[in-house]
Amino acid sequence: MVMSITFEKLSYTYQTGTPFEHHALQDISLTIADHSYTAIIGHTGSGKSTLLQHLNGLLKPTSGKLVVNGQMIDTKTKNKQLGDLRHEVGFVFQFPEAQLFEETVLKDISFGPKNLGKSETEALEIARQKAKLVNLPDDVLEKSPFELSGGQMRRVAIAGILAMQPNILVLDEPTAGLDPKGRIEMMEMFKQLYEKEKLTIILVTHNMNDVANYADNVIVLEQGRLLRQGVPTEIFSNPEWLNKHHLGLPQTTAFALKLQERGINLQELPLTEKKLAQKLAALLQREVK
Amino acid sequence: MDRFILGRYINGDSLVHKLDARDKLIISMYFIVIIFLANNWQTYSLLLVVVLGCVGLSRINLGFFLKGVSAMIWLIIFTVLLQVFFTSGGTVYWHWGILTLTHYGIVRGVYVFCRFVLIIFMSTLLTLTTSPLEISDGLESLMKPLKYVKVPVYEIALMLSIALRFVPTLMDETQKIMNAQRSRGVNFGQGKLIDQIKAVIPLLIPLFVSAINRAEDLAIAMEARGYHGGEGRSKYRQQIWHLQDTLALGLFAIVTVALLFLRTW
Ligand SMILES: Nc1ncnc2c1ncn2[C@@H]1O[C@H](COP(=O)(O)OP(=O)(O)O)[C@@H](O)[C@H]1O
Ligand SMILES: [Mg+2]
Repeated sequence: MVMSITFEKLSYTYQTGTPFEHHALQDISLTIADHSYTAIIGHTGSGKSTLLQHLNGLLKPTSGKLVVNGQMIDTKTKNKQLGDLRHEVGFVFQFPEAQLFEETVLKDISFGPKNLGKSETEALEIARQKAKLVNLPDDVLEKSPFELSGGQMRRVAIAGILAMQPNILVLDEPTAGLDPKGRIEMMEMFKQLYEKEKLTIILVTHNMNDVANYADNVIVLEQGRLLRQGVPTEIFSNPEWLNKHHLGLPQTTAFALKLQERGINLQELPLTEKKLAQKLAALLQREVK
Repeated sequence: MDRFILGRYINGDSLVHKLDARDKLIISMYFIVIIFLANNWQTYSLLLVVVLGCVGLSRINLGFFLKGVSAMIWLIIFTVLLQVFFTSGGTVYWHWGILTLTHYGIVRGVYVFCRFVLIIFMSTLLTLTTSPLEISDGLESLMKPLKYVKVPVYEIALMLSIALRFVPTLMDETQKIMNAQRSRGVNFGQGKLIDQIKAVIPLLIPLFVSAINRAEDLAIAMEARGYHGGEGRSKYRQQIWHLQDTLALGLFAIVTVALLFLRTW
């Protein structure tokens, strides 16, 4: 089986044939490799969420097609054929805590596996495991999910998705509304899932620092079209281009750019604090000599 | 993912859009009453012509109105069949137990169908051409006399406009939660009846939680901006009765006279 995601000339139109018709995606062709960490960036309304919802068949292309790990989806694909896909692709929606409904955290996490036909005990076992994976303390497992803090509720919701045991984890602005500390913890957790659990991660974000720090593949959307796809160093190497499309720079890169304007030659713009520190250290050493 | 057509407003600047909301409310309620004056093909044709004329004036695609009919098609079919098979009189075409298919039955069936279409078209026209806020302002203004018998008119109108305002929000929310639960392996509208009923719980509980949270936020936001009930509040949107509103009423008065003249007594 081919383990990757391919979009071929995919277009999607909301509410076709009404005055509210909206071409949300147009002629998208791209490939996302297996076990990659892809960030999707673009302005609000550029079609990021619409693109994501194709990945597990919640939306079907108006024209064109996509292939997810060997499973083809086009206009004519029936919901019944998508059973495996829902299990293959774990989808964390924006504000996923809205999906919680069970009496206890553990029961809520085990809801997915039970729907997949796992027995009660098996499902609870998976739930315990996933709760640990998202760093939920043991004492909250028997509590009502509605008693928890915002950040913890979100972890419960994400554990509920991980309990479906997907190979691909799709995250739609997962850190929106979290405080800075909660955000960093959450991003570190996804990194763990990527490195230790070997998941393919697809992340929609507005935070360029997260893109620079974690992603190895970037997709830029603008008004429903694919503007560019590439590795982060490529995407962030051209500040004028980013500026023209109203996209921000990672903090570190912006800082490095300021240094360069003051005459400190860094050659290639660094994306992460670590890289910047290394470059500066190298420069300083040369200076000392 | 098409939204319900009933209760959806389509912006426009046609003559129908420009009529005062109070005028449109009065006319559509009045029209539903005079539909019951129709009792032969001449009168039903007249009403159909009137409604289609109004639809034409609104410059809104006829498809929207047909969708309104198709949304209620089962109720319509059921009622029509009831009329067709349980009306006696006239030539009998077919007979089985208590079911009879008679000439009168068929005629009654057609009339009932026309009534449904007329009522749905007219009320869809009202909601398509009048924004929810205009409707609730209009209702408030029309209900003003009830204040003298201590009906909390302002509060009712406020409740109505808040409810109308949140219909699309709640529908989006429903869609979102359904998608989230689908991603956790729920199949809505599939499988055994008991499974389908069970599938409603993971949808309803989050929906209630979010509606209650939203209501709380709204209440806080209103109080923070100094809301203290309807006493002495002035209106930002003024409703102005124009000549065209009076003329529209006049038109329906003429339609009534024509109906009285054409109907079989
Ligand atoms: N259910 C819908 N009906 C009509 N238009 C929609 C619907 N959902 C999204 N859109 C429109 O599609 C466009 C892309 O939306 P979305 O994919 O949510 O963007 P993003 O996630 O990048 O902010 C937006 O302009 C939005 O208004
Ligand atoms: Mg979005």
